Amino acid sequence: MPGARHVFRPGSIAEAVAAISQDQAIPLAGATWVMRAALRGEPLADAYVALRGIRDLRQVEVRENEVSIGAAITHAELAASLQRVRGCAGLAQAAAQAANPAIRRVATVGGNLCSVAFAASDLAPALVAAGAEVEIEDAHGAARQSVEAFLAARAALPPGWLLTRVFAPRAARLSAHARLPLRKAGDYPVAIVSVSLERTEDGRVRSARIAVGSVEPIARRWRALEQALEGRPIDPGAAADLARERTGDFAGRDGVEAPGWYRSQVLPSLVRSAFQFLQAQV
Amino acid sequence: MPLSLTINGEAFVPGRDPMTPLIDILREDLALTGAKAVCREGFCGACMVLIDGEPVVSCLTPAALAVGRRILTIEGLSRRDEPTPLQRALEAHDVVQCGMCFPGMTLTLTSLLAANPNPTREEIEHGLVGNICRCTGYERVIDAVLAHAADLRG
Repeated sequence: MPGARHVFRPGSIAEAVAAISQDQAIPLAGATWVMRAALRGEPLADAYVALRGIRDLRQVEVRENEVSIGAAITHAELAASLQRVRGCAGLAQAAAQAANPAIRRVATVGGNLCSVAFAASDLAPALVAAGAEVEIEDAHGAARQSVEAFLAARAALPPGWLLTRVFAPRAARLSAHARLPLRKAGDYPVAIVSVSLERTEDGRVRSARIAVGSVEPIARRWRALEQALEGRPIDPGAAADLARERTGDFAGRDGVEAPGWYRSQVLPSLVRSAFQFLQAQV
Repeated sequence: MPLSLTINGEAFVPGRDPMTPLIDILREDLALTGAKAVCREGFCGACMVLIDGEPVVSCLTPAALAVGRRILTIEGLSRRDEPTPLQRALEAHDVVQCGMCFPGMTLTLTSLLAANPNPTREEIEHGLVGNICRCTGYERVIDAVLAHAADLRG
């Protein structure tokens, strides 16, 4: 019925949190996930809170040790902001390659992380690999937690919170983001491998964070592969071989675009691609 | 707050749910049928319009998020019914095929050339990633845009 649904337009984070907690309004950023609710057989909510007008959510600050990213920053804005920012190559790749240009112009960082049923997020594994944190604000204040912990816990969080910022560390690490879309570009990836690693002085892997996205419902780290790579040279072929021995660590989700077994099977190739990109940075 | 939209320079207040896709308002309320509702998933680009000068998929844009912004459809692109130079170039190179994707493609290319008047072939390809042509007519479109950009340079 016309006029029955309401879209709040707060000017501040506090007003947005109030609308979420008091009026059960759902955050609305780029709307690319919400507007496909009908295709998923889901009803729209009675109230939404548009985040675009909140200045504090629309800023990227490149600091000495981290990048602070407002939750309503779009993929395109993030990719532009991270150009030539030291220590953020993998995250910049993820932001620049997701979906297609029109979606990247509107889909936001916060929306990407908060859409629980969206398994093919590019930013989620890139931020997990980067060791990033999210800031969550509710009526009681703000708190930070790791992106990996947030992704695992978000579906069960009590209502009334808003993801306000993401903090990506600017460490002296190499990073890369490899993805397999079914077309060359423009759609969502079957599987994603994001890598961030620190080298020893002689060029070996001192520590690695490797995150896998789109294979399982929630992006997560591939810790067995991280441990296997420690102390080894940055060798794409050898890294792919180590990955091949460990693809059983994942139970791929079945979907219309790809069966679960295929998502796991392509991971070694994506590891090789990511390590080729890392090798080129050395 | 009333749902007031500015479409092709004119104000319009649709009596609609604020979450109505912009494409439905354009086509059903205003008979602006250049934008096509094809995939409704943001993949095909047939519903593309310019909002504040940038190509946006109107199928995934709720009307509420278009309030206070300049919406330009293919019908509003030309002035006094005169095709734009880009539209003339596309016509001259005979690249229009079935027409389903073409309004969206034209708007994407208009925005691309405004930001980058001298694009490379690869930049045009990247710009058109979200505009799907099922007639597979990309190469001649790109040829036409490159020729048009060269003409503008003299």
